[in-house]
Amino acid sequence: MKYTYVIKRILYSVFVFAVVITLNFFIPRIGVDDPAERYYPPQGNMSEIEYEIIKQVTRKQYGFHVSTWQQYTNYLEGLSRGDLGSSFRPGSPSVLGLILERLPWTLVLSVSTMLIGLITGVLFGVLAAVKRGRWQDTMLLNASTIMIALPSFFIALILSFYLGFELEVFPAYTDPNMVSSFSWALESIRRVAQNAALPVLSMVVGSVISYAQGTRNAVIAVTNEDFVLTARAKGLKQGTIRYKHILRNSMLPIVTSLGMSISGLIGGQVVIEQVFNWNGMGTLFLEANNSNDYPLMMGIMILLSGFTIVAILVTDLVYVLLDPRVTVGDKR
Amino acid sequence: MKKIRSIGAFIQRIWSHKQGKIGIIMVGFLVLVAVLAPLIAPYDPYDVSQRAAKGLPPSSHHLLGTSISTGQDIFSMLVYGTRVSLIVGVTSGVCIAFVGSILGVAAGYLGGFVDSIIMRIVDIMLVIPTLPLVIVLTNVLGRDFWIIILIFVALGWTGLARTIRSLVLVLKNSNYVKAAELAGASRWHVMVRHILPGTSHLLIMSTALSSAGIMVAEAGLSFLGLGDPTAISWGKMLADAQGGGALLFGAWWWILAPGLGIFLAVFSFMRLGIVMEEIANPRMKQTSSVYKIFKSLDSSYIADVFNSMDEYEQLGVTESAGGGETRETNA
Amino acid sequence: MKQMLKLRNLKVVFPTNYGVIRAVESVDLTIGDRECVALVGESGCGKTVTSQSVMRLIESPPAITRVDSIEFDGKEIKDYTPKQMQEIRGKDMAMIFQDAMTSLNPVMTVGNQIDEMYMRHQGDAKKAARKKTVKALELIGLPEPATRANSFPHQLSGGMRQRVLLAMAFACLPKLIIADEPTTALDVTIQAQVLKTLRGMQQGCGTALLLVTHDLSVVASSADVVYVMYAGKIVEKAPVKALFTSPHHPYTVGLMAAVPRLSDEKRKFTQIPGTVPHPARKPSGCYFHPRCEYALEQCRKEMPPLRKIGPDREVRCYYPLRVGGEERE
Repeated sequence: MKYTYVIKRILYSVFVFAVVITLNFFIPRIGVDDPAERYYPPQGNMSEIEYEIIKQVTRKQYGFHVSTWQQYTNYLEGLSRGDLGSSFRPGSPSVLGLILERLPWTLVLSVSTMLIGLITGVLFGVLAAVKRGRWQDTMLLNASTIMIALPSFFIALILSFYLGFELEVFPAYTDPNMVSSFSWALESIRRVAQNAALPVLSMVVGSVISYAQGTRNAVIAVTNEDFVLTARAKGLKQGTIRYKHILRNSMLPIVTSLGMSISGLIGGQVVIEQVFNWNGMGTLFLEANNSNDYPLMMGIMILLSGFTIVAILVTDLVYVLLDPRVTVGDKR
Repeated sequence: MKKIRSIGAFIQRIWSHKQGKIGIIMVGFLVLVAVLAPLIAPYDPYDVSQRAAKGLPPSSHHLLGTSISTGQDIFSMLVYGTRVSLIVGVTSGVCIAFVGSILGVAAGYLGGFVDSIIMRIVDIMLVIPTLPLVIVLTNVLGRDFWIIILIFVALGWTGLARTIRSLVLVLKNSNYVKAAELAGASRWHVMVRHILPGTSHLLIMSTALSSAGIMVAEAGLSFLGLGDPTAISWGKMLADAQGGGALLFGAWWWILAPGLGIFLAVFSFMRLGIVMEEIANPRMKQTSSVYKIFKSLDSSYIADVFNSMDEYEQLGVTESAGGGETRETNA
Repeated sequence: MKQMLKLRNLKVVFPTNYGVIRAVESVDLTIGDRECVALVGESGCGKTVTSQSVMRLIESPPAITRVDSIEFDGKEIKDYTPKQMQEIRGKDMAMIFQDAMTSLNPVMTVGNQIDEMYMRHQGDAKKAARKKTVKALELIGLPEPATRANSFPHQLSGGMRQRVLLAMAFACLPKLIIADEPTTALDVTIQAQVLKTLRGMQQGCGTALLLVTHDLSVVASSADVVYVMYAGKIVEKAPVKALFTSPHHPYTVGLMAAVPRLSDEKRKFTQIPGTVPHPARKPSGCYFHPRCEYALEQCRKEMPPLRKIGPDREVRCYYPLRVGGEERE
C-alpha cells in the first residue's frame, strides 16, 4: 500500500537527519582535543597560564568542560528545544536568532529564482520540444552546452559589470540600507526588488536553461511513446493530447530532477550572495567561516541539510502521487 | 592486452566523431598550455620581483594588463591558472573514478550489508549541501592544495558509485559473469576481471565529466577566497578582479580572461565526456539529424525513387513484358 | 459488396543517413464492407507502415508518403486536413495496437481513456461517457467492468489490457478497425480468446477489419481475404481458403511450409533460406529472387508486376506455382 511507503520514507529521512546531526557535531572536533582551542587559537603574545585560564572560561561558557559524550547529549537536547547553541561572536547571540534574521532574505532570492526558473524553463522546454529540429530547439541545445560550463558567479560578475556599473540599470552591490530600513511599504519593497534583480538574474539564467532542456527532453521522449500514437489514432484533439497525455507524463522526470538539484542550488546561492554582498544566510555562513564561529557554521549546516532532506522527501512523495506505478521499496 | 586495445579503439572512435575531435584538440591544447606555462607566459606571476605597476591596461608589454591589487601580469596568471585547474580537476576526476568504481562495484556485486552501508552513506552525503560542507572541511582540515583535492574526492564519489552500481546490477546477470561464477571463480576475481572491465567506458566518461565539475567547484571555492592561498587559480583571479575594483574601473578584460579560461576548460572536458557517452550509448533517435536530412533532401532523387516503384498492373490474360516466359493462366 | 476502403498506390520512404529506406512500394488494398482482410508478412516487410498510413498516422518527417488515393467509405481522405482526420479517427476508423502495456497511458485509468472517446466523438459529459465505457468493457468480456474501469493499465493482466484496447477501438462503432498484431504479445491461450472476442465484435458490430499479422494461424481462423507482403510489396492476394489450399507465390508457399503441423510426418523444419533484404538495399528485379528456388534470369532483371490470375487472385511472380492445377518444378 502506498501509505507504508510514505511512512517508510519519512522514517528514513529522520534517520538520515539524525546521522547528519551527529556528523555535524563531530566535524568541528576533528583534529582537536579541546574545542576551546578552536575558539581561541593560541596566540603568541600570551603566556601559558593566561591561555589556560582563557580556555577554562571559554569551556565553561560553551559547555566544553564536560565529556564529549555529555556534550553530544546536551547538543541533542538543545536541538530538540530548537536551540542551536550560542555563536562565538561577541555577546554570544543565539545561533538560531542570527539565522532567522537572515533567512527571509535568502528566501527572497531562492524562491524567486525557483519560481521564475521553473515556470519560464518549462515553457521554453515545451516550445523547444514542439519545434524540435528547428531553430528554437537548436538554440536551446547550444545554450545548454554553453551554460553547463559557465559558472553562475561568472555570469553574476558580467551582469554586475554591464547592468550594474556600465549601464547602471540595477545596483551592483546590495544597498546596506535595504535591510535596516525595511518596512512593508511599497518604496521599501521596490528597493528590495531592485537590489535582488541582479542576483536573481544571475541564478535564473542557468536555472531556466536547465529546466528547459530537461522539459524538452522529457516531452520528446514521451511524445515518442506508443500511447501517444494511440491518442492520435483515437482522433483526440491536439490540445488534449498535449496536456492530458504528454505533459502529465513528462512531469515525472522533471519532478525527480527538481529534488536532486536542491543541494547544488544552495551552494550556488552562497557564492552569488557573496558577489553582490547580499545579506542572506550565504554571507552569514561565510562570515562564520572567516571568524571560525563553529556553532554558527554548524547551525547553518543543520538547517540547510534539514531543508534539503525535506525538499527531497517532498519531491519523492509528489512523485508517488503523480505516478500510479510506484510501489513500496521503489528507489529512483 | 585486450583492455588496452579496446581503450585505444575507444579513443579512435572519439577522434572520428565530429565533436570528439574538437574535444580532444581543446583538452590537448589546455594540457599543452599547462605544461609549457613557463615558456608561454611572459612573466612568472609567482616571482614578486616581476611585478609591474598596478592597474595597467592591456598593452604590448602586458597583453591583458596588470592586476590592480598586485601589479601581476594578468596574461601570465591566466596561463599559470591552467595548471591549477587542470591538476585539481583531473586528479580529482581520476581519484573519484577509482573510489566510485570500487565502491560502486562492491555495492552492486556484493549486495546485502555492504550495499546497504554504501548506499546509506551516499544518501547521507547527498543531503548535505556540497559547497558549505567543502567550506567547513577546508576550515577544519586546512586549505592546502592536496587537502582540497582530497575533500573534493571524498564528496564527489557518490554520484559515480550510484551509476556504477546500477550498471553492475545489470552486468551481474549477464552470461559471462554467471559462467565465471559457475566455474568457481572467487568473488574477487569476478569483480576485478569481469565486472570492472565492463564499466570501463563509464569510468572514462565519468572522469571527464567529474573533472569538469570539480573545476567549476574549485573555481567557486577560490573565488570565495577559500582555496589554496598560494596557488594562482582562475577563481581567485575573479575574486581579485571584483575585490580590486575591476568593475569600478571598467577593467573588463580582467574579469573576462579568467572567466573564459574556466569556461574553456570545463567546456572541453564536458564535450569529451558527452561524446564518450554518445559513443557508449548510441542514441537511436537522432531527431535533429532527421531534420538535417530532410533539409538537404534532393527532391528529384526522391521523385525518382517513387517513380521507380510504379508499374502497370496487368489485368486479365497476361502479356509478356519483354523477354522471358510466361505462363498461361486460368482467367 | 460496398468497398469500405480503397487504398491505391501507397508509397512510403524514410530517408536516413544510411540511404533511403523503401518501406512501402506501390501497395493497393481493398477492404469490403464487413470484410476481414489479413495483411501478412514478416517483421520489416512494411505492413505496419501500410496499416498506419491508412489512418494517415505516419508523420512526415521522418517519412515521405505518396499515395494516389485513399478512399474510405466513399470519401477521398488523402487530402484531409489534420482537423478532418481527427474527426474520423477513433470515430469512423480505429486502430488496435500490438503492445497494450505501452499503448495505454500509464498515468490515466483505463476508464478515463475510454471515456475520452465518447467525450470527444459523441459529445458526452463525463457521467454519460462512463456509463457507455462500462457497457463497452462488459461487452468485451472484462469482469467487474465498473470497478475495473478505475484501474491503471499496469494493474491489469496482459489479456485484460488487450481487451481494453479492443473496447477503445470499438467504442464508437467505427466502420473500419485496423488491428496491428493484436495477439502477438500475448500467451497462446489468451491469444485464442482475444481473437475470438475480436472476431465476434467485428461481426456483431458489422465493422470491416484489417488484420495485420505475421501469424498464419491467426489468418486462417479469422480472415476472409489475405494479402501477402514481402519487402514492401504485395506479392499475393487471395481469398483465405484458396490461399491455404493452393498458394501461388513461392514466398507464400515457403511461409506455410515453415509452420509445423501435427499431421506432418517426422520431417525436418523447413525454412526459407536466406534473410529478408535490408530495407535500404533491396535486390534487383524481384525482391524475393535471392531466396527463391525457382528463380530464373528474368526474375533477377526486372520486378514482376502484380498480375490478376483469377476473379479474386493476384500474384507478383513471373512463374507462379500451382496455377492451372500444375505444379511447376
